[in-house]
Amino acid sequence: MREGKDARWSVVRAVIRFELAKLFAQWPTRILPLVCVLAPLAFGAILRVQSGVPADTLFGVWVHTSGFAVPLVILSFAGAWGFPIIAGIVGGDMFASEDRLGTWKTLLTRSSTREEVFLGKVATAFLYTTAMVVLLAAGSILAGVVSTGTQPLVGLTGQTLGSGHAAALTVASWGISLLPALGFTALALLISAVTRSSAAGMLGPLVVALAMQLLGLLGSGDIVRALLLSTALDAWNGMFAAPSYARPLEWAALISLCYAIACLVGAWLSLRHRDIAGAGSEERSWGRQLRVLAIVIAVAVVLAAVSNLGPTSVTATKLQRSIALTFANLTTVQQTDLGRHVPAGSHLEDGAICARHGVRDSNRGPGDNWLCRIYIPARSPSDPTEVSYDVTVKPNGCYTAEGPEAFIGPLTIHRPGGPPVLNPLFRFSSCFEVAP
Amino acid sequence: MPCGSNLVFGFVEGRETDVAALVGRGLSKRFGSVLAVDGVDLRVEPGTVRGLLGPNGAGKTTLLRLLLGLVRPDAGEIEFFGRRPSLAAGLDGVAGFVEEPRFYPYLSARQTLALFAELDGGDASPVDELLDVVGLDGKAADRRVGGYSTGMRQRLGLATALLGRPRLLLLDEPTTGLDPTGASEMRDVVRRLAADGVAVVLSSHDMGAVSDICSTITILASGRVVWDGSIERLQAEAPAAEYRVETSDDPKALALSASHPGVRATADGTAGLLVSAERDPLDRFVLALAGEGIAVRKLAEVASPVEAMFLALTGGTAS
Repeated sequence: MREGKDARWSVVRAVIRFELAKLFAQWPTRILPLVCVLAPLAFGAILRVQSGVPADTLFGVWVHTSGFAVPLVILSFAGAWGFPIIAGIVGGDMFASEDRLGTWKTLLTRSSTREEVFLGKVATAFLYTTAMVVLLAAGSILAGVVSTGTQPLVGLTGQTLGSGHAAALTVASWGISLLPALGFTALALLISAVTRSSAAGMLGPLVVALAMQLLGLLGSGDIVRALLLSTALDAWNGMFAAPSYARPLEWAALISLCYAIACLVGAWLSLRHRDIAGAGSEERSWGRQLRVLAIVIAVAVVLAAVSNLGPTSVTATKLQRSIALTFANLTTVQQTDLGRHVPAGSHLEDGAICARHGVRDSNRGPGDNWLCRIYIPARSPSDPTEVSYDVTVKPNGCYTAEGPEAFIGPLTIHRPGGPPVLNPLFRFSSCFEVAP
Repeated sequence: MPCGSNLVFGFVEGRETDVAALVGRGLSKRFGSVLAVDGVDLRVEPGTVRGLLGPNGAGKTTLLRLLLGLVRPDAGEIEFFGRRPSLAAGLDGVAGFVEEPRFYPYLSARQTLALFAELDGGDASPVDELLDVVGLDGKAADRRVGGYSTGMRQRLGLATALLGRPRLLLLDEPTTGLDPTGASEMRDVVRRLAADGVAVVLSSHDMGAVSDICSTITILASGRVVWDGSIERLQAEAPAAEYRVETSDDPKALALSASHPGVRATADGTAGLLVSAERDPLDRFVLALAGEGIAVRKLAEVASPVEAMFLALTGGTAS
């Protein structure tokens, strides 16, 4: 008779080794590590041979300027697509594969308990996900360094981050993003255990992630957005702002933990008292999958219905403060790019006034109808020059501003005799802190 | 399945004759409106083989699933070696399989056994010997299980069950998919395990095999135990065997049977007569047929005494 905690963890470790051996005996989970390394390198290679940039993504305009922008761009894509796919591949099949292969009866008639098998499977899924995120991060950083280099990075507020600082923040960004990635893995495990379907388990996290992103983009209220796991994927943005803000990091950790615990408790309850029945279970499994689908749709509809409820943290005051500072910092970058001397410590004393058009409350809420007037004390403080930017603000506090070419110059600029570079003021993205 | 491995057949450290290997009391399980197992009591002593008989849907597999912890009983309790199994302990000293054993198709038999050995807290050293014992040695051991036949999976199922050095083995139709030689070897393995003190519960449709290797029998019908006892008692209580007798003049043979005590003949509408008789009265009847000039063209047993008993208890008919 096995007794004691040490014996239990010894069995859990054996289950982990068992599950890892199974994962690496199957081709999807065997080639995924390779994909996680090679895909970013391929992205870096493409960037190297073409001049275009993924300007719609945060840091996208800087991919030819600093190699650290590349892993951050990839992180944005990975958060939206990569993490849910990885979670689906490993977590979505973790329990359901035993149903598909009919191997529960083989696995659960050993000396290991259901609890040990469950813990081992969860730990394996988390370990594998962590390894894939680490490989993806390493591949992305390598791709950036190889394709562009280790130059300083322009932060989200237009400030310049030294190479070391940028590298540390990049690694930290991937590190914090691991938490929602594990949250998605827990979600995949839940879907896998409850639906007993590999297809549902593998596709479910991606569908839920896309639905969350849609909810996060459409809803203006802070409450629903704060409850979405996808919100945690943006948490790293604040580290690249000046001044930086850390509250989203804390919230990301908390919400990821809550998702992980809730999903794992649900998965365990599903497995704990489950009858491993024989013939006829397939029909019952279909019924279960339909019930789960109905519940998921109902939750999504309710969340969509209430997504505009509650206050919004997107306000004119925050936008004004952020866009004025970003514009000032980017002006310094632009002048440096143009080869003009910018005295150390000098700073553009600009100001901004932002308002939304065509809505009742012009001072708050996300949307693509913001207009920001930036006032630059060009001639004298009492007679500033005004520049108008059309601004699209997302509910997560990130925005894109597009300015008039007549004032800020063309899309590309270059210093005398130098190569053309993107005009940082032509179209820029930044973020400000929103709740939570 | 070569025999003679001390590893496999010598792992019971001491016979525990004073404690039953398995005691089930009042076990019941309902699936929806179907009462699959209804108040079943079961007791298996170490070193004995208990046959679990019953027609399809009698509840044999569900009962084994209950015993293996795959489904939870609605009522009743189970004891293994005097202890009630707990959620925290897993199956200790108990192993087996239900229905057709299933494995990971992308692993070989050798990999499968090595991984399960590690899972059970043991080392992989018995793997080669077990593969040899169940007849999966050589190239078959390193082939992916996905390409295995049903019989090969049965063999691997037995090897997997034996890995944990069980003292109680629960086997559901272990000879399914095996050729006659393989089935005979499987029965030999079970016999030797029992000789070494392992308690075995064996469900089967093969009446001959059950009466051949089981010391006790439990017959189930509609989820309930309809008969339970030793094989000797079953044979003693069993009705006479049934034979199909085809003659040159069946009506005359049927009439003649009426004057032979111990012989009960019926014409069931098919060719020949269905004759129920012990061996001696049957011999006398056959001689009498010859004396009356009636040729016996065919005489074949259609149901052994055990089968006849089984059919009588479960309401089945001989094929």
